[in-house]
Amino acid sequence: MKNSFSLKAGMLLTAAFGVILVAGSTGGLAFADEALPEGFKKGELAPEPAADMIEAGKRVYFTKCVWCHGVDGAGDGPGADRLWPRPRNFNQGTFKIRRTASGELPLFDAKKPTPGQNDLFETVTHGLPGSAMPSWEGILTEEQRLQVLAFVTTQLVKDRKFTDKQSEAQTVLQLDDLKPIPATEESVKKGAELVKEKKCVECHGTEGRGDGNAFNLKDDWGFSIQPADWHKCWNFRGSRQDPYNVKNIFRTFSTGINGTPMPSFADNSTVEERWHIANFVNSLCEREADGTPLAIDPLADKPKINFVVSSGVVEGEIPADPEHELWKNRARRYVAMGGQITHKPRNFVNRIDDIWVKSLYNDKHVVFMFQWDDRTKSVATGKLPWAPTEVNIDVKEQDPKTGEEGSIAAHQNNYTVYNDAIAMETAVKWKELPAPIKPRYLFGSNEQYPVDIVKWEADGSLRAFEGTGWDKDFAERDTYEENIKILHSEWKDGRWTVIIQRPLGNKKDQDYDEDTFFEMGQYIPTVFFAWDGHNGDAGRKMAVSAFYYTFLEPPTPREAYIYPVVIAFGVVLLEGWVLTRRSNKRKGKTL
Amino acid sequence: MKALMSVGALIGAIGILLLAGMILEIVPSNTVRLVEGYMPMQVLFELTLFVAGFTGLSYMLGTMGMALPRFWQGISFWCFILLYLKYRVYPPIPFSVRAMYGTVSLIAVFMWVSANEEDWKKFKQPIMNVLDAQSGANKMLRYAYLVLLPILIGGFSYNAMVPKSEEPIELRTVHPAPPASTKVHGKTYTLQTSQNPYRVNLEGKFDQEYSNANIVEQGMGRLMKPNANPWDKDAQGYLKYVREGGEIFFQNCHFCHGDNLNGRGLHAFAFNPIPANFTDPGTIAQLQETFIFWRVAKGGIGLPNEGFPWASVMPPWEQHLTVDEIWKVILFEYWHTGYYPRTWD
Repeated sequence: MKNSFSLKAGMLLTAAFGVILVAGSTGGLAFADEALPEGFKKGELAPEPAADMIEAGKRVYFTKCVWCHGVDGAGDGPGADRLWPRPRNFNQGTFKIRRTASGELPLFDAKKPTPGQNDLFETVTHGLPGSAMPSWEGILTEEQRLQVLAFVTTQLVKDRKFTDKQSEAQTVLQLDDLKPIPATEESVKKGAELVKEKKCVECHGTEGRGDGNAFNLKDDWGFSIQPADWHKCWNFRGSRQDPYNVKNIFRTFSTGINGTPMPSFADNSTVEERWHIANFVNSLCEREADGTPLAIDPLADKPKINFVVSSGVVEGEIPADPEHELWKNRARRYVAMGGQITHKPRNFVNRIDDIWVKSLYNDKHVVFMFQWDDRTKSVATGKLPWAPTEVNIDVKEQDPKTGEEGSIAAHQNNYTVYNDAIAMETAVKWKELPAPIKPRYLFGSNEQYPVDIVKWEADGSLRAFEGTGWDKDFAERDTYEENIKILHSEWKDGRWTVIIQRPLGNKKDQDYDEDTFFEMGQYIPTVFFAWDGHNGDAGRKMAVSAFYYTFLEPPTPREAYIYPVVIAFGVVLLEGWVLTRRSNKRKGKTL
Repeated sequence: MKALMSVGALIGAIGILLLAGMILEIVPSNTVRLVEGYMPMQVLFELTLFVAGFTGLSYMLGTMGMALPRFWQGISFWCFILLYLKYRVYPPIPFSVRAMYGTVSLIAVFMWVSANEEDWKKFKQPIMNVLDAQSGANKMLRYAYLVLLPILIGGFSYNAMVPKSEEPIELRTVHPAPPASTKVHGKTYTLQTSQNPYRVNLEGKFDQEYSNANIVEQGMGRLMKPNANPWDKDAQGYLKYVREGGEIFFQNCHFCHGDNLNGRGLHAFAFNPIPANFTDPGTIAQLQETFIFWRVAKGGIGLPNEGFPWASVMPPWEQHLTVDEIWKVILFEYWHTGYYPRTWD
């Protein structure tokens, strides 16, 4: 039964491809009317923008855009080579986020900044989250955004013409008229089956973490490209600053992403099927424990950050199984990661942009559970080019000059593979640091106030280092390693789970001058580091977090139950006194 | 008078409705947008409007015979301040600061209601009525207070005593005092006398007036002057160096400081405090070029002792850039934001 079904699906797919092929080779658009995919309607090409608008747009372009998109709009500005994804090359007229059918130009009308009818305007307004393209709302006026688009679409798109009725047509997804199907359990379940049936999981991975076919995909310009991680909807380019809105997923799935291997599924799926899939993909995006979407910071388009990693108290052993109830019930913290771009080799493109941290402690140990999405499990195949302790290596960085040869995008997936790794840095003697002195941000203040670094690597090693300053090599520590332990490490379907145990620290067993002593109810400065081995991350080429605080939650003291009752009783007495006094006064008596 | 007051009342009513809508998320919170850099003035203006509105409202209610008692006026004005601080001001203010403002405005409200004996009596009257409980409703209210007050206060004190983890607040020194001189790539630069060698006119002479005339225009968008395009093939002198500075900026700095120099680059969200926003009039617009030179060259690690808490990840750029490149980047930053560097005189 199952067999014949998949056979049928396969045949349908082949047939669909056949139709596309035939349609493509005969010019296609003549037939478009008859074979309009479900949910689409024919649209009109917008008129050419006025000449003065184009001229005004040039001024905007050369102030704001040229730095990444280049003088000729070829996506080769000075900033381009250190970015991945690279800035869009406008010349071919290939635009990713659209409401128009696959292969068509996006909607753009220089006179109508109407939401839902102007794809390019919305892209400039909302930016492309997860890339370097910011939201220009509040920076450029509506008029200026339209002007610059008028310039880009007429002067920099060279291979196609937005107004040419001979070669261009617009088949528009009627996104605003289509009513979403509620995301019921049933709908999500149907979606889960459909993503297998439609082979979405082949690229996006069984759990949707973008780990299915992470290495062989290329875009139209020959650069490596990775399938989206459905668990980080705030990084969806087409999220329009509204990442939990299922309509965005529906749109991308219906129209495909031009210039990339992501096809349009409009021809081989019904509108209903598309809603189910969109509901399912949306359901995967990270949420709070109670199922509500994460709060998104409107300035960064990323989840809001709380800098306190609070650790819960446990009596007895801390479980090594991440599925254990204690871990499951423990609140997790979102830790944002940026590239380490202070020391060479600098990490301009950090592929790990966040990790999730949970923590538990008992009377002897504090345990951290790290979970982060990484499309590939990487265990070193090559010899490390520099010791992981070394800093300021005299490494030749790739040429920042414009040209695709040396760019980071061209390098992607060609790096020698090193170990995936995770590390945490905590301040030693943090209590002694007299205010306002704090440990210096990265790698410790000095010999007197060092930092304690514990690092796990995908080859199974767990090591401890001491950092004594910004510009100093780490010192490897031997004795301490007997005390730290790896409780669990596993890579599954694009996600690492690593549990590291370390002692709370006491003067008998640990060295006060080298180890961090964790104390209940105190804020202990903590920094996290992460490495993606397939990104060539090794040593100080890594992702870093800001200063967080580890906070061991003290158990609720008994006083917290007694005093409030006493206080409440006191208030009752006070009330009695006020009332008696008032009534006495009214009666003319005095006390 | 009446016409004026009714206009005021209208403003007040609209303002309150807008604010309520934003709090209840019926009205999108960006309906009346706060524009970066102009925000403090905008907030002051808004508050002025609100005060005018309230005056109008209370006058109109009075003429219609529905005057709000002084007691409720005081309370609602205080609530308004708290709600405005919490829901309107963006980026959000931490609770401790809000509590401070709240206390100050409470005192102000008290001063207002107790300005003279009569007012104070009017203000006290509702409280006294409840205490005396002459009517049935007041009796009910009195019993409700008797029961609720102890529960509420007990609850608050329990809440205060249960251990919580709130991020410790760290004040920071934004512009620490610079040293007299700084040594970069083996050469000593005296901050008082050094000049940006690329701030030159077409003849190659230092010329601040010339460069100031060619920076981008202030106002929304901050666009370049129509005839001063650094990407012009024939651009010479200042503008040519601006372009070169921009190239360096977009290869090194924009990752944190952002494509629009507003501190919202690709990696910015991961850091705390977020990177400096050069479009804010409180940053480079307040400083001399040589101060920027020192900060860029020495980075976060070069901050003096009072520059705590040193959570800056800004690298000492002398490790990555030459002196010339640093000067050019600074030139670009002033050009792009449209600010003049401060001069010593």
